[in-house]
Amino acid sequence: MSIIKAEGIFKTYNETSVPVHALNGVDLEINNGEFMAIVGPSGCGKTTLLNITGGLDLPDKGKIFIDGTNLGGLSSKELIDFRLHNIGFVFQASNLIPVLTVKENIEFIMMLQNRPKAERDGKVEELLNAVGIIGKADYKPGQLSGGQQQRVAVARALATNPRYIIADEPTANLDSASTRELLDLMAEMNEKYGTTFVFATHDQRVMDRAKRIVTLEDGKITGDKTISK
Amino acid sequence: MNTIFKIAWRNIWRSKKRTLLTVSAVFLAFVLALFMRSMQFGSYDLMIRASVNGTGDLQLHKSGYWENKGINESFYYNGTLTDSLRRIKGVKTIIPNLQTYALISYGKQTKGVLIKGIDVQAENRQINLSGKIVRGQYLSSGDNGTIIGDRLAKFLKADIGDSLVIMGQGYQGASAYALVPVRGIFHMPSPEMNNSLMYMSLVTTQNMVNPYAPGLLTGLSIFLNKSSDLNEIRSKIEKAAGDEYETVTWRTILSDMLQTIKADNISGQIMLMILYIIAAFGIFSTELMMVMEKRKQYAVMVAVGLQKKKLVLVSVLETLMVSIVGIAAGLLLAVPVLEYLNISPIPLKGAMAEMYLQFNIAPALPFSMEPHIFISQISIILCLSLLSSLYPAYYLYKLNILKTFRS
Ligand SMILES: Nc1ncnc2c1ncn2[C@@H]1O[C@H](COP(=O)(O)OP(=O)(O)OP(=O)(O)O)[C@@H](O)[C@H]1O
Ligand SMILES: [Mg+2]
Repeated sequence: MSIIKAEGIFKTYNETSVPVHALNGVDLEINNGEFMAIVGPSGCGKTTLLNITGGLDLPDKGKIFIDGTNLGGLSSKELIDFRLHNIGFVFQASNLIPVLTVKENIEFIMMLQNRPKAERDGKVEELLNAVGIIGKADYKPGQLSGGQQQRVAVARALATNPRYIIADEPTANLDSASTRELLDLMAEMNEKYGTTFVFATHDQRVMDRAKRIVTLEDGKITGDKTISK
Repeated sequence: MNTIFKIAWRNIWRSKKRTLLTVSAVFLAFVLALFMRSMQFGSYDLMIRASVNGTGDLQLHKSGYWENKGINESFYYNGTLTDSLRRIKGVKTIIPNLQTYALISYGKQTKGVLIKGIDVQAENRQINLSGKIVRGQYLSSGDNGTIIGDRLAKFLKADIGDSLVIMGQGYQGASAYALVPVRGIFHMPSPEMNNSLMYMSLVTTQNMVNPYAPGLLTGLSIFLNKSSDLNEIRSKIEKAAGDEYETVTWRTILSDMLQTIKADNISGQIMLMILYIIAAFGIFSTELMMVMEKRKQYAVMVAVGLQKKKLVLVSVLETLMVSIVGIAAGLLLAVPVLEYLNISPIPLKGAMAEMYLQFNIAPALPFSMEPHIFISQISIILCLSLLSSLYPAYYLYKLNILKTFRS
């Protein structure tokens, strides 16, 4: 069953003197429970596509459906709420709110969803264990390593059990040990909870773990292969 | 909500030095404003109270007196009326008086003065005239002498026991003459009064103004228990007295003084505005810097599902918190100090003292603790800080998350 459906997506940036055609007619369907990477050379449109599938941006032309909802039909407020309740995000860096502790960062989205305290506490405990950050619940992000911060960001994205998580270059600033740990973690979440993961990445280590690789070139999909392991 | 509050509070303490600097600006402006206003209102209040103590909260005259202040607009003492006025609830004291202008001479000197014919005992209770006598003695009831200001005595070269000649206008075209011995010489804070004022007993003044039918008065000074009851009591008095009489309140009697106060108050407010604009600019620039520095983290917050209106709240809360910390620190310092200065006013000297002297007030600087001073200064700061947060809040509201990520 598909969770994301992109139909004939075009996206052009007109901010420069020469318009940049970032996406030129992308059709893409992502199924529930996939662990997928979007790859391609720098500037090919990976981030643009990821943002559109995550409801952070809207296409100029074409339609994007998540779980059957047409994102183009939502007001900007509704879109924010849609993201809050359906999508988890992990960004490249500076993901976390620096003044909140690790625990408060993980809780942040649950707080926005008004989840009760008991549920939040239980979930934080569980996730801290799952992402291997034990005994650092009251640390501020600045007191953690880059890898630890990314793991907290994953924990935050997972906290509300979204069915779908997008991650743009989540490993870009990480050493190989941290990268491996982070990928292990996400793969485990994917197995255990069936959470769909979509990455935009250059990182070979991520591609090696992905179960499906979509290649973009000049804003068009030029390759799509499913890897059976 | 709770989280937004937490984020705002911790954000402002992330750059401690900068926040403390802004807090100090608020603190300084606030404390300065409080001291200024407290001092101003304290002195206004004292001026008014001291003056009302002499004039009465309101005065009853014959209709038309206040316009001309002529001796012909006087009236005969009416015991029934006075009694019925005394019975009005809230009226504390009623003191009758007869005032007239006249020339007085002694030896070769002549001078125009204001003669106040007073109820010797009552007036003394009200403004402690006997305490102001520096030579000789105060008047006794029905005394046929006078007490005069020290400057006047010096000008006339008259001393205790010397008799002064009074020549003035009597009632209804008659002339008023009298020969009155000086019983005492007083000194008041106001040079004006020392120069051209004399007191005589009511009876002596009445006999002088109209020897054929004594008993004339120019006014009744009416003192109230609570000055806040003024309007209500005034209308009761007017009803009891009827059309033949008019009343004027201290606001009319002291209108010159109130004008001076108003002008002084406005100049004070302008000073404060400048002070506050500087502080508000400090808040504004700090907040804008803070918001711009942290835009990446705000973009992440919106990306994961925070509504923009809550983000706007962060900026509003941050400016309010900075202001409130400044206000709290200001109150902590100002309240005890002002309280102390309220209880023990600072004695004044020199030019500042002059203004007070003119209103017959001992030159000591009292500080007011009226709540409205604090309330108005606090509200001004809170309003200004809300105003300062408008642009930063707008900036956040318009924050483009994708552009922010890319920058
Ligand atoms: N806001 C924008 N304004 C102007 N041009 C943009 C904007 N966002 C993206 N672009 C352009 O669109 C094209 C696609 O950008 P995008 O960020 O999607 O590429 P990418 O594949 O993620 O690249 P990278 O691998 O370097 O992250 C690029 O040429 C980029 O310069
Ligand atoms: Mg990219």
